[in-house]
Amino acid sequence: MVVIQPALRKMILFQIIFPSVLLIFGIYQGLMQFIHRAGILRQVSFLGIEYYQGLTAHGVINAIVFTTFFAVAFGNALVPYFLGKEPSTKIVYLSGIMMALGTLLAAIVIFSGQASVLYTFYPPLQAHPLFYIGVALLVVGSWIAFYNWVPPYLEWRRKNLGKKTPLAIVGLFTTFLVWQIATLPVAYEVLVLLLPWSLGWTSTVNVVLARTLFWFFGHPLVYFWILPVYIMYYTMLPKVVGGKIYSDFAGRLAFLWLLVFSSPLGLHHQFTEPGIDSNWKMLHTILTFFVAVPSVMTAFVVAASMEYGARERGGKGLFSWWAKLPYFSKENWLFGYFFCGLVLFIFGGITGIVNASYSMNRVVHNTAWLPAHFHMTVAGPVLLSFIGMILHMTSTLTGKKIRFQPIHIWVPYIWMVGIFISSTGSFIGGLLGVPRRTNMGMTYLNPDSQLYRPEWVFSSKMAVYGGVLMVIAMIIYFIVLFGTLFSKQTAKPGLEFPVSEVYDDADYAVVRNFRPWILVAILAVIIAYTPPLYDIYKNQVKGSPAYAPSNPLPRAGS
Amino acid sequence: MSSTLKLEGKLFGGAMLFLTLCFGMTVYAVYKYGIDLPTCINNVEAFTKSEVIERAPKHYEIHYVARMWAFEPAVINVPPGSTLDIYLNSVDVTHGFQIAGTNANLMAVPGAVNYTQLTLNKVGEYKIVCHEYCGLSHHNMMATINVTENAAAANAAMESAQLAPSADEAEGAKLLESKACLSCHTINGSPLVGPTFKGVVGKEETLEDGSKVTVDDAYLAESIREPQLKLVKGFPPVMPKIPVTDEEIRKMIAYIKSLK
Repeated sequence: MVVIQPALRKMILFQIIFPSVLLIFGIYQGLMQFIHRAGILRQVSFLGIEYYQGLTAHGVINAIVFTTFFAVAFGNALVPYFLGKEPSTKIVYLSGIMMALGTLLAAIVIFSGQASVLYTFYPPLQAHPLFYIGVALLVVGSWIAFYNWVPPYLEWRRKNLGKKTPLAIVGLFTTFLVWQIATLPVAYEVLVLLLPWSLGWTSTVNVVLARTLFWFFGHPLVYFWILPVYIMYYTMLPKVVGGKIYSDFAGRLAFLWLLVFSSPLGLHHQFTEPGIDSNWKMLHTILTFFVAVPSVMTAFVVAASMEYGARERGGKGLFSWWAKLPYFSKENWLFGYFFCGLVLFIFGGITGIVNASYSMNRVVHNTAWLPAHFHMTVAGPVLLSFIGMILHMTSTLTGKKIRFQPIHIWVPYIWMVGIFISSTGSFIGGLLGVPRRTNMGMTYLNPDSQLYRPEWVFSSKMAVYGGVLMVIAMIIYFIVLFGTLFSKQTAKPGLEFPVSEVYDDADYAVVRNFRPWILVAILAVIIAYTPPLYDIYKNQVKGSPAYAPSNPLPRAGS
Repeated sequence: MSSTLKLEGKLFGGAMLFLTLCFGMTVYAVYKYGIDLPTCINNVEAFTKSEVIERAPKHYEIHYVARMWAFEPAVINVPPGSTLDIYLNSVDVTHGFQIAGTNANLMAVPGAVNYTQLTLNKVGEYKIVCHEYCGLSHHNMMATINVTENAAAANAAMESAQLAPSADEAEGAKLLESKACLSCHTINGSPLVGPTFKGVVGKEETLEDGSKVTVDDAYLAESIREPQLKLVKGFPPVMPKIPVTDEEIRKMIAYIKSLK
């Protein structure tokens, strides 16, 4: 147990509870997506929230706000826990307040219906300027949080010359270095291209350039989501199963490899669009395959760590040791959250290789297959590990016992089954050509419409059944989380994490210094993005005026 | 220690081999089957109007235009075995374009032209949907490619359905298109964002406040000048005020009246 200053403790608690409250609404909107899309609701809006407005809220809250807040809160906790030195509380508050303010500004314009542009905010659809300002504040706030961890890290290194940096800290700094590299292009898109344009200072925007800058950010974003999960898988999961980290070197190599290859591959989101030469698309295909390597490595190391733990618990045989894992353990309940995420991630990863495979991508691009894929990653290991860790941190930071035990153990299993059902429906639908991001109840799944497509009914209904299970899991989770938060304090509050010992602690100089890896990462980005950006610049794409989502004519004055 | 390193080496090598295999198959598909991805076409101006050009028997060049919230041409008829050179351009926001059941899957991005080639051998109705969010009525976008043995007869029937209009009506039709009215009001009888123009004249409509109105010249003219004044029940109040002269309104109404 590490005791930290009450001020820091409260801010960390705020940074995990505030996004959890928003997540309740984000998940409600997720269910509404399924219901509208299955044609159960055949209307533009439900309870005052229009379909595309709800979809914007779902994406922004769940994928951007919740994840960024958790990563920052997790870092604010890991730094004092592993480095023994707290980051500056003042700066923690500055960053936390900026992020919360940015979120509130974006939320206000989304709920007033002035920013129904989805979380990808592709121009020339235009949102209210406060939407862009809010997003920028959230991101800049997270940068400030990151740089606040550098002084404690440098001090630890001075005091511990020759010692290995704790693996969790290597993972944390990798997470935020990836975030720093990835958010620069999107900051340029938002602050230089979109914000002046939404304020009416510039009349047109280069859509091809804006989309390329967005995906320059959009794919490393998913590694920003998954990296905190890898920190938990490498440094905490082995302890939870009663084992050891199988290979410390593999963990470090996986993190640093991800630092290099997370960013130079965004064009694989733009395979089917014009304005970019197909040669650069092929280059990004190759680079995307490189980034799959550390995930495959992680799968092996995590499986080996689990096997070691299971054998320590008396597991035998080639496969029967699997039965010895603590699936429903009351003490090591975090295992269920980690394990279900891992299972989903296998399918999320394999379908991801389909998406990244150049010409195969056109079979699935922008169909329901895509949300099915990324719900097995971001709503799989990412969501489950994050909510598991939020429950754990809430309990230790408040010194309160988890309430309503042991029903929370069931949450990840119900959720996993729900995701499997809903994603299977969406995978099938995607292969049948069902589009993503579409209020299908209005037309394609409405028997009264001329555009009715009966062959899409079955898969879309299947997605609803899964969605209902997912919501049941989350209702149980939130009852436990808020039940715990509002219960009586029983112990001293502080920070406590399961910390694994290392099985193979070999030391290799190549993974002992960030600097060369950062340089290679910058070089990789320059090599991958100079040619396509030069092409876009050279082609002089005609600028687009602004459009409101509700009007097929350009906005007046643009 | 060395034993784990050896094992790690094997697993790492295995992972690399798997990924290399996946990548090898991708490259094979590109060269063996010619399944390549869209590349760069800069000459946007040539593709801002929808067009169907028969280059040779069973070889068509189709210029699709995507706009909020329709594809043009909405329906085409081709014989089985036709090869289509599809060019796609957006005149407003970003749209998607997928011909369900085929590998034709493109993005329509304003400022650039997209291209793919497709051969349709099976007789049937191929539906095209927009799969990128493009605004409030995104879910209304759909176009059809009919692959039929009687393509020529079907095309002739489509043409004769459009009877020779008067000069006013023809100009009115052009105005409705250039002012983007047809993005929300169809001429085929199915309501979209707003009521359809087909058969609207003489119809009794219920307004938002529950009162009734018979659609005539005066109501149409008033609703074009002041769109929010007398809204038909069940439609969103999203129509903008569009600058038009009285003369233009007269021609637009002449065309709307011809849609029976």
